[in-house]
Order: sequence, then C-alpha cells, then structure tokens
Amino acid sequence: MAFDPSSLRHLFPILAQSAYDHPLTYLDNAATTQKPLPVLDAIQDYYRSFNANVHRGAHFLSDRATNRFEQARDTIASFINAPEQSHVIWTKGATEAINTVAFGLEHLLEKGDEILITSLEHHANLVPWQQLAFRTGARLRILPLTSNGEWEPEFSHYFTDRTRIFAATQISNAIGVSTPLQTMLDHAKQQGAFTLVDGAQAVAHYPIDVQILDCDFYIFSGHKMYGPTGIGVLYGKSHALEVLLPYQTGGEMVRHVSYQATEFNVLPYRLEAGTPHIEGVIGLAAACDFLNAQDRLALLAWEQSLAMHVYSRLHKEGGIEIYSPEKNTTLVSLSVPNIHILDLNAYLDSQGVAVRAGSHCAHPLMAQLGVAGTLRASFACYNTMEEANRFCDVLLEAIDLLNDE
Amino acid sequence: MTDSLGQQKPVNIKALLQACRSKEETFKALVTLSKTLPRLSAEKKTEENKVKGCESAVWLVVEESHGIRHFKADSDAKLMRGVLVAILSLVEGKMLADIQKMDLKAELAELNLSSYLTSSRTNGVLAILNKINTV
Ligand SMILES: Cc1ncc(COP(=O)(O)O)c(C=O)c1O
Repeated sequence: MAFDPSSLRHLFPILAQSAYDHPLTYLDNAATTQKPLPVLDAIQDYYRSFNANVHRGAHFLSDRATNRFEQARDTIASFINAPEQSHVIWTKGATEAINTVAFGLEHLLEKGDEILITSLEHHANLVPWQQLAFRTGARLRILPLTSNGEWEPEFSHYFTDRTRIFAATQISNAIGVSTPLQTMLDHAKQQGAFTLVDGAQAVAHYPIDVQILDCDFYIFSGHKMYGPTGIGVLYGKSHALEVLLPYQTGGEMVRHVSYQATEFNVLPYRLEAGTPHIEGVIGLAAACDFLNAQDRLALLAWEQSLAMHVYSRLHKEGGIEIYSPEKNTTLVSLSVPNIHILDLNAYLDSQGVAVRAGSHCAHPLMAQLGVAGTLRASFACYNTMEEANRFCDVLLEAIDLLNDE
Repeated sequence: MTDSLGQQKPVNIKALLQACRSKEETFKALVTLSKTLPRLSAEKKTEENKVKGCESAVWLVVEESHGIRHFKADSDAKLMRGVLVAILSLVEGKMLADIQKMDLKAELAELNLSSYLTSSRTNGVLAILNKINTV
C-alpha cells in the first residue's frame, strides 16, 4: 500500500494553520523542514528536566545532560553508519562544517595545488573553497556537470595529481538533481585527494551510509531533516579529522593550557570549541529517531511521486521551463518565460502556498542555466497530493493573471 | 500620474489600493497599476540608474527642474512596477524639500503596501525611497 502522509502529518502542528485565509501549503522544505512533536518535546524536556553544561560539572544534572549529549552522537553515528561516534563532530550547520574543513586543511595546501568542486554547488560549498584558494595560492577548478547531473567522461582530466581536495554535493538544492557521486569520488581518490560530500539536501530523503560512500568528510544541517536550526554535523574518517587544524579554539577543546602552549583534546572534542548547542544536539537525535521509525524508502517514494506528479502536470501545460529532472527528485524547479519569478511567488504567497523564488545560493549555476533565478517547490514526507495539485492550480492561475496578452 | 505619454489615466490609485481587503486583492490591484507605468527605454536602464538592494531589477531616474522633481522608473517584475506607480504617485512633481517632509513609509502603509516594507523586499523599497528623497 502506498504511503499515506496523514499517518504522520498530525505530528507537525504548524501545518494546520491558515495563511491569509487559505490553508497553509508549505512547499519550501529544501530551505528548511518543519519539526515533528517528538523533536519539540525533546527540546522542551531538555530544558525542563536536564539542562546543565556538558562535560563539566560532576553533578546529577550535568551527568544526565552529558549522557544524553553523547548518546545523541551515537544516534547520529548510526544514522549515517559512521564506524565510531568520535567521527561525528557537531557544527552549527552545513556551512560551518565545510568551513571547519576548509580552514582545517589550509596548512596542507601549497601554491599550484587544486581544489575541485562541481558546477552544481551551493555557495556554502563554493565560497569557502574559493577563499581557501585565495589564501593559499591554490587553484579552484570547476567540474562541469550538466543540469541532468551528468558529466562527460572526457572530463576525467579535471582530476589531476595536483587535486588535493574534491568537494561535491550529493543533490543540487537548486534543481534537485543527483550528482554522479560515486564515480567522481573514485576519480578523486585515485588522485589521493581529500573528498568532501555535501549531504545537506540528501539526509532528509535518502538513507546515508558514509562507509559505502567512502568519502573523507560528509556534512549536513539538522534543520533540513526535521531537526532544529543551529545544529549540523561534520562526519570524517579518523585520519582526515586528525589532520584538521582546529578552526576555532577556546574551552572544551583543550586538555591542558599554559601561557606558553596548549595541548588540544582528542577527537571529537578537539574540533568543538566552546559550550555546544546542547538543545540542538538533543533535538537532532530526536529527528533521527523520528526518521528511523519510518519506512524511509516509502517516504522517499512518496516525495518523489509528488514531484513527478507536479512535473508531469506542468510539463503538459507547455510554456513552463522545468530545470529539475522528471524522476528521482523531490523538488520541482521552474521558470516561466516573460514572467518574473517574484511575481509568481507573490501570487502563490497570497494563496497560502510557500515556495522559494530566487537563485538558491547558486549564482554560477543560475548563470549556467541562463536564468536569474527559479521558482522551487520542494516536498517533505508530510506533503499531500492535494498540496501538490494546489501548487499546480495556483501557479497556473498566476500565469494567467500575469501573462501579457 | 500624467497621461502625457499616451498612457491610460488610471483610476484613483489611493482608492484602488485602500479598497483591497486581502493579499490577493492587493496583488491584482498592483497588476492593474503596473500596466499604467510608462516603460523605460533600454538606454535609461543603466547600472547607474539601477537601485541596489532590490530582489528584482529596479531602475529609477530622478530629474529636477526649477526645484521640482520628476521621476521615471521601471522594473523587470510586474508587481514592483505596480508598487513604483504607487510610490511615484506620492512624490511626482513635488519639491525636494516637500518630499523630505513626507513620511513615505506611513503613506505606503496606508495604501496596504506595508508588506513591501517589512518583508525581504524591504531593503529594495527602502532603497527606492532613499533615492527619491536625496539630493
Ligand atoms: C546543498 C546545500 N549545501 C549547503 C547548504 C547550507 O546549509 P546551512 O545554511 O544550513 O549551513 C544548503 C542550504 O540551503 C544546501 O542546500
């Protein structure tokens, strides 16, 4: 039997409201997802019953908080099948995780070394590498991927013996396409490069196994996978995490400090300076528990069926440019010639339909597509077929209203 | 608004916008107004005339003769053209000093356009207002 979103939609009370007298239709899930009750409850519970700083006081509450905090690390480790919990570093999000790696590897880069990324990256997986290149004299190279997520085999020459870092997204946030990750990682590893995978758009939808991916670093944000904002994960293989110089220093990450020198703590603490985002960690573990309790493949199939339905309805209409693939994606990214996406967005908003209009933090990709931006409807497990249809209906109304005869 | 450029003289802008009872009605009113804005020619759409900070592209040309300000504006987004019609209707043909005495934000709020001042479009519209009342 097909998955029925009403089996879990009641766990998301925020969705049961109206926006400007219309039922709220939340289709901006690639920007951030809503949070289920178990996540909200876990955060409340932390503050109501075991708030204390972790790893410090030897007292009842601090022990409880520390235990739950470290249990959460286990939960995340098994969620992505990391071999050990010390390979899971807390960050404030995908962006901070990438910056931690970019700054941490700086001491290993030399002039003339190459950093390779793809043409489908979010600015978060582009600007830190560009700036690292500026600081070290390394060269930032862009592996061109088509908007179908394909690359030409003759592009294998982008991977050279100077490639020190290869960073790629698993799924494009702007157009929803999956990249040929495994093949690219193989090429990068053959050249001995450090490999980083940006899983920000993947974790909410796909079961992740970092050991199968076999990348050095895997990073993501909690808020795009039903968890709280302000918490994210940097997973790394131990040798890869070991070589990172701490990007931030201070308390918690040290073992011994004198005025002359500091001995850093072991992993994972060495890369976690300061009091961590404890409530975020607790909430993120609850989000993993929530996902683990679902039939993940059924959720994915449902989300993909919503996107496919929208694709086929809009494709039939004609006159709409669709940039996302027809299949195997959970979002639809489009534009309408001669109508501004902000105008479309304004009408959708007036009808309670929340989508994203813009460049999706991917200016170079928009240039590759030849547009200033796109309108993106992105689905999560709680979205219904009625909502997918409502998006299509309202979009078509908007086009009618905005078309110049 | 003038009809010197052969544009259809619009209905009372203030009445039209103030009658809007919902986001949808405001949307439709702005679409109606947008059709009354004389478009700028390509040569006027220079970098210099572009207003920074808007999500859509907005160009604003300010001319002054005998102390009286005249405005021409355009945007690639239709709703923004409607908003520009509303803004310019408040200031067109006035002396700079008089414009500076106006509370433009409050006047736009009275026209049911406050969401254009409080959302992410804020900076854009504020940048337009800024350009309108600086020397
Ligand atoms: C593919 C991708 N990478 C990185 C990020 C950055 O995530 P955050 O802003 O949570 O750090 C995003 C967020 O939109 C994303 O979609």
